[in-house]
Amino acid sequence: MSDLIVGISDFKISNTAGDVIVTYALGSCIGISIYDPVAKVGGLLHYMLPDSTLDAKKATDNPAMFADTGIPLLFKSCYKLGADKRRMIVKAAGGASILDDTNFFRIGQKNIMAMRKIFWKNNVMIASEDTGANYNRTVRLDIATGKTYVRTSGGEMKEL
Amino acid sequence: MKAVNRILKSINTIPAFPATGNKVAQLLGKVDYSVSEVANVIKFDPSITANILKMANSAYFGSQHKISSINDAVIYLGQKNLLIAIQTAGISKYYKKGAAGYYDKATDLWEHSVAVALMSQILSRKITGNEDMTLYTAALLHDVGKIIMGEYIREEMKQIFDLVENKKMSFLEAEESVLGIDHADLGGRIAQHWNFPVEIRDAISYHHRPDLLEKEDKIMPWIVYMADEACLMMGIGSEVEGLAQRAVGELLKKFNLRMKDLETSMVMLSDDLNRARELFSII
Repeated sequence: MSDLIVGISDFKISNTAGDVIVTYALGSCIGISIYDPVAKVGGLLHYMLPDSTLDAKKATDNPAMFADTGIPLLFKSCYKLGADKRRMIVKAAGGASILDDTNFFRIGQKNIMAMRKIFWKNNVMIASEDTGANYNRTVRLDIATGKTYVRTSGGEMKEL
Repeated sequence: MKAVNRILKSINTIPAFPATGNKVAQLLGKVDYSVSEVANVIKFDPSITANILKMANSAYFGSQHKISSINDAVIYLGQKNLLIAIQTAGISKYYKKGAAGYYDKATDLWEHSVAVALMSQILSRKITGNEDMTLYTAALLHDVGKIIMGEYIREEMKQIFDLVENKKMSFLEAEESVLGIDHADLGGRIAQHWNFPVEIRDAISYHHRPDLLEKEDKIMPWIVYMADEACLMMGIGSEVEGLAQRAVGELLKKFNLRMKDLETSMVMLSDDLNRARELFSII
C-alpha cells in the first residue's frame, strides 16, 4: 500500500488494491486517469504537450511527454495487467491557461483539444473532466475503488 | 502599522548579499588572474565552497570525473560557469526557509527559481544566440519578494483568493489590492537593498508585467516573464497562484517566436532539469 507519484511527462499503473496514484501540480499539463472496475486495474498519465511531431526523438525516449504518444501507452500498459478497453472509465483534469489568453501561451487549450481528438477517434468516452480555467490541480486515483479525486489550488479535494 | 509598511520595514532585516560573486567577477576580469587567487576568495565563504563542489560535479555542467577541490572546480567550470555556480550558491541561502503561504515545501520556491533561471538561458539562446549571466541572476532572483510576502499572504489568503475568483484579478493584482504591495515590486526593492544593478532590479519588479516598464529596448524583464510563465504552465512552482497571471499579448510578436518555440523550450527545460539536480539539492 503506497502512494505512487507521477511526475511531469510520466505515468504509473497499478493493480494493487491500496495503491493510490497521484500527480501534483498540473498547470497547462493534463492528467488522464483510467480504470477498469472489473480487473481493478488503473493508471494515471501526466502529459505536458499535445503533439509528438514536435520532437520525434523525445517522443521515442519519453512517450508520456505528449498526448498522442502518452495516451496509447497508458492504455496498452493497463491492458498488460488485464484491463479491457470496453470497461475503461476515463477521467481528465488540467489544461489550465493564464488569464485573458488570446493567441499565445495556448498550451492548455491545445492539450485539451488533443485529448478530445484522440478519444473521439478511438471511440472512448470521457466519463468526467475538470479542465481549463486558471488554477492548478492535483489528481489522485485510488486503485481499490477506482475513484478519482481532484484538488485545485486553494480548494477542497473533490471526486471527479 | 499598515501591512505595506511592515513589509517594507522587513527588507532591512535581510542580511547583506555575499560579496564573493562580485569579488570573483572582478578577479576574472583581470588579464593575469591566477586560479589560486580565485580559489582563495571562494574558500573564504564556507557555504559557497561546499555548494561549488556539488555544482561542479553536476551533469548540468557536464562533469565527467569527480571534482574534489576548489582549485579543480575553478579550472573545470571556467569563467562563465564559475560565476553561475557562485551566484547560485550565494542566492540559495536566502531561500532556505522557503515562502510559506505560497508553497507547502520549503524547497519549492528554490526549485521554481532554478527552473526559471535555466529556462531564461534556453530562451536567451533562442532569442539572442547567447546565454547571459546577468539575466540568469535576475531570473534566479525574480521571486525573491516571496520570501517576505509569504507570511503576509498566508494571513490574507481568503481575501486574495476571493479577488482572484470573483473579481478576475491576477494573483499579483490581488496581492497589491489586499496588502498594498506585490511580490514583484517587493523583490525589486530587496535587490536594491542588495545593491544589484538597475537592469536586474527592473527585471524582478516587472517580471509579471514587462509591458509596464517604459524601456522598450530592455528585453530582460520580457525573458524572465516568459521563462516564469512557461514554468508555471508546467506546474513548477505554481501551487497557490496557479495560472492566475496576466497574459502580455505582444510577447511572441516582439521576439518573432511561434507557439512551437515555446513548446520546444519546455522540452529542453525538462532535459536541463534532469541534469541539474545538484542545483536543487544545494539548499
